[in-house]
Amino acid sequence: MRRQLNELNFEFKVATPKDFPAEFLHYGVVGSGDMEIIMEKKPLGGAVRVKVLTPVSGYDEVWKRVLSRFVNDTHIGNASIEINDCNATPVVGSLRLRQALSEIA
Amino acid sequence: MSVKWDALQHQSFLECNARQRAIGLVDPDTFSELAGPRDRLSSPHLPVLGEAIQFDDGVVTGVGLIGKKPVFLASQEGRFIGGAVGEVHGAKLVNIVRLAREAFEKMLSANPDLPEEKRPAVVISVDTGGVRLHEANAGLLAHAEIIDQFQDAKGKVPIITLVGGKVGCFGGMGFIAAAADVVIMSQSGRLGLTGPEVIEEEMGKEEFDSSDRALVYRTTGGKHRYIMGDCNFLVADSIAAMRNALREVLALPYAEIDAFRRIGSLDKVEYQLKLVDLCVKLSPKDSKDVWKYAGNENPGALVDMSLDTFLKKVKRLKVA
Repeated sequence: MRRQLNELNFEFKVATPKDFPAEFLHYGVVGSGDMEIIMEKKPLGGAVRVKVLTPVSGYDEVWKRVLSRFVNDTHIGNASIEINDCNATPVVGSLRLRQALSEIA
Repeated sequence: MSVKWDALQHQSFLECNARQRAIGLVDPDTFSELAGPRDRLSSPHLPVLGEAIQFDDGVVTGVGLIGKKPVFLASQEGRFIGGAVGEVHGAKLVNIVRLAREAFEKMLSANPDLPEEKRPAVVISVDTGGVRLHEANAGLLAHAEIIDQFQDAKGKVPIITLVGGKVGCFGGMGFIAAAADVVIMSQSGRLGLTGPEVIEEEMGKEEFDSSDRALVYRTTGGKHRYIMGDCNFLVADSIAAMRNALREVLALPYAEIDAFRRIGSLDKVEYQLKLVDLCVKLSPKDSKDVWKYAGNENPGALVDMSLDTFLKKVKRLKVA
């Protein structure tokens, strides 16, 4: 089977979203077991749109849970998130998302 | 002064990522990134191979100031595929050198009396194993193009390479570092052509044991390179130490910076040939044999010596 970089797309929305507080934010390095994140303010009717590029397949549901939890915990809205992943574990992913946000908090 | 910049100065150059190095090396709040993550110039080759990509393709490029001097800076990210040079990564390196030269030409035509303190410079913070094998042809071509740009920049803008990352500086980028005007290394930096793992794979563990860190450091590490004259300056492992050495070099007039070159003139080539000659005569079994020849009575003691003592006591290799 031909290997391809997997593209996962998600959209989340919380009941009372807070507008994403920065125009543009970049965080992280695509090292082994790590990832980088771009977060941008985007008018999405309060939603958060996430695109993940990852070499790992079969973990779509795990990604969905990690990201959904992040959006639910932080109440962010109107944001576009792009992730370049290189085999980060869910814990690392979760940590990096929060670290990225704390850069502007 | 920015708090972030201040905090960066005390951090280990080795531990910092490429962007932190770039920001910390130039004056506070002067770094503007060019072709950064926002431009999403990532590799077109890696996704079809199922490999992870990075928005800046593993190299941070931009312009900052050191004093009044515009510094065109490239900083490689060793954690992304070992800092390997692919097509986009290479193009960014090529263009940062080109931009510096063009800026110099423009400034000079606007002001024929352009003072030395405003003359642009190129700084490359290297952290790489060389060509990215997934896109090897493009990577190799990029190396050739960088050397071309170095050649065009000669006599115009000084080029300084900094080696102090976790990966070090190996493969094709070893040639490129050597072709720069000045090489500044940290104690933890490593510089060479064929990397330790590759030598072991090709020649066997008896020839070179890449898991022997002491051996790796005394054949490729900063102290060895300093004794051999392959690097011009040896500094402590911090952003501040690298930045201070860089500032001191950049404060010199161009002619003096040019004189630091290890290759690039007939005299220098002849000197290199004398070194080869010496190597044949000496046929050293270990770096320590060469250190001893250079005049270091107790070469073994140099390994664990603190940097300050080392710099005071060490005798560097000279051939007449």
